[in-house]
Amino acid sequence: MWRFHRPKRIRTRLTLYYVGMLTGVLALYFAGVSVLLFWQASNILKRLGEEDLETVKGLLYHEEDGQVNVREDFHHHANWKQVQERLLEILSPDGTILYRNERLGDRTIGGPPFPDEGVSGYSGRTAKMSDGTPIILISRQYDLQGETILIRVGYSEDLIWNELRDTLLVLILASPLILAGTAYAVYATVGRALDPVAKMAHRAQFIDSERLNDRLPVDNEEGELGYLASVFNAMLSRIEQSFEQLKRFTADASHELRTPLAAIRSIGEVALRENVNPAEYRDTIGSMLEEVNRLTTIVESLLTLSRADAGQIDMQVSVFPLAALVRESAALLDVLIDDKQLTFTLVGDESVGVQADRLYVRQAVINVLHNAVKFTPPGGSICARIQCDSQSRVELSITDTGPGIPAEQSSRVFERFVRLDEARTATNVGAGLGLSVARWAVQANDGEIGVTSSLGSGCRFWIRLPAVGCSGRRP
Amino acid sequence: MRILIVEDEEKMARALKIGLEAEQFSVDVAGTGEEGFFLASTKDYDLVILDLMLPARDGMEVLAALRHKSLAVPVLILTSKDTVEDRVRGLDAGADDYLVKPFAFSELIARIRALMRRGKSETSDVLKLADLEMNAAGRVVSRGGKELSLTAREFDLLEYLLRQPGRVVSREMLARDVWRETARYTPIDNVIDVHIAHLRRKLDEPFSKKLLHTVRGVGFVLREETP
Repeated sequence: MWRFHRPKRIRTRLTLYYVGMLTGVLALYFAGVSVLLFWQASNILKRLGEEDLETVKGLLYHEEDGQVNVREDFHHHANWKQVQERLLEILSPDGTILYRNERLGDRTIGGPPFPDEGVSGYSGRTAKMSDGTPIILISRQYDLQGETILIRVGYSEDLIWNELRDTLLVLILASPLILAGTAYAVYATVGRALDPVAKMAHRAQFIDSERLNDRLPVDNEEGELGYLASVFNAMLSRIEQSFEQLKRFTADASHELRTPLAAIRSIGEVALRENVNPAEYRDTIGSMLEEVNRLTTIVESLLTLSRADAGQIDMQVSVFPLAALVRESAALLDVLIDDKQLTFTLVGDESVGVQADRLYVRQAVINVLHNAVKFTPPGGSICARIQCDSQSRVELSITDTGPGIPAEQSSRVFERFVRLDEARTATNVGAGLGLSVARWAVQANDGEIGVTSSLGSGCRFWIRLPAVGCSGRRP
Repeated sequence: MRILIVEDEEKMARALKIGLEAEQFSVDVAGTGEEGFFLASTKDYDLVILDLMLPARDGMEVLAALRHKSLAVPVLILTSKDTVEDRVRGLDAGADDYLVKPFAFSELIARIRALMRRGKSETSDVLKLADLEMNAAGRVVSRGGKELSLTAREFDLLEYLLRQPGRVVSREMLARDVWRETARYTPIDNVIDVHIAHLRRKLDEPFSKKLLHTVRGVGFVLREETP
């Protein structure tokens, strides 16, 4: 079976489309022209017929036997083709045929007269002759020397059709030229319009992970293709950014893993070098296991974060009081707080509830709190404050009296593996991931997290979450 | 007590065998799923430790085949796949417990003992070690006849250690069983260490014989003497 295959190229498709459209329009136009011409021609013919009727009437005479006849030979001046082709019939009102001209012969035009045909004026119409030829017919009643007669003049429609055919032929012959011209114009214009696409495609071919900094050419930013190119460029920028982030993360992660691995290796090698007693071996192995634990923690946290990045963790949202959660988190860490003789206070509305996954919000609060405990010197204080931001947001802020973070670095504390205090690396089991985990947990629960700080004046970490039971604004 | 280990990684299998034999278990090792299935279905074991990633026939298939033959031997799965779905799939397939690699050996022992104990309740309310005596129900603990005043957390911690005397308990086990923390990345290790230090001050400092020992890199143990 024959199937129409859609052309692959837009250029070909548009050209075919336009040519098709134009063909249709032309066809409609020709049809309209034909109808108009036909209508005009038949009107002209009818008017001619009316004149002709008068002429014929003037040429009528009775022969000796009373037969009606027409002096057709009188028509030597007739230069109208139509008049030369005239069909003529003369009838009595009762339908008896009184005269037919030579051209008509034995045929009848219009059959028996209908009542009052041609009585009060010319009656013009289209009709069919007895042999089926379509004609234009004009008739009128006259009084010929006391006798009432009906004169009918008819012209074959072929006259009109022939004329029409000639006109249409000229038009149709011109059409292929018009269509070809249009096709060429469309093909060329579309080709020019799509030129930037080819350029973009060519450039895009060479963009890969190594050359993500390359961008597509933007011809005209206002135009559709220019817009497309700039949208693609923006997308490339975002991809480049996350790619860079990923690269940095991978590098940082391997560095973080390498540190405990290096420790394990040197501890083992050194222990094997010399003869030591069992207790020392025990110590060596224990020290290696400590490093293994560190590795395990790092891998666990990384797995959690990468699963979070991939959106593989489902949140179990519920409503729970925030104050209780903060108190519970502080209780978990209270030995650390006591050990450093820190004072922990919680102020704010006890009744405010939070709508989020309790487990992950708890994780975030514990991590932020732990961070504060870690960096606040002995004797300092940590203050947690719960305050409604608006009807539907609550802010938990945790302020410490630690050394603070340089303001320009405060945005980096939530990044993975970032430890601003390098000296603490050895004791920091969280491997610089605690605040990253906190940020992820808060953001995954439709919240925000941030820190305001300056060197020497402590930190103020804040977590904003969807709230329930915030009754309007509070000071 | 006979244990079958189905594990293809030789080092791991050898370490497990040595460690379990030291705990007075008799241990067979199978290096492939096929061999494991053959041994498990022909010999009588009290426990099968099954690695999931095995060449040719993987652990899940072996487990399904065993259960299909209606062998009711307890199965403990060891795997590095740790998502909730993996756990559920393993337990659904008929495993009795599920331990994620890397794990602490002390944790494995604890799990094995728990599986063996299953069905037999032998939790006593009165626990003793040397001159340490605890009434878990009454929440009273004394050493050498003198009552110790412990916080609730310290008491729970001591009870947990006292219920497995002589066995090393890892920080992870404490976090999960005493603190009930499920997430492993919670910064709780410091908290545990401080609590242990407090407990040690009350439990051991006034006495010449020390009971609470730290096993470096592994965890803590309550026993009469350092070996």
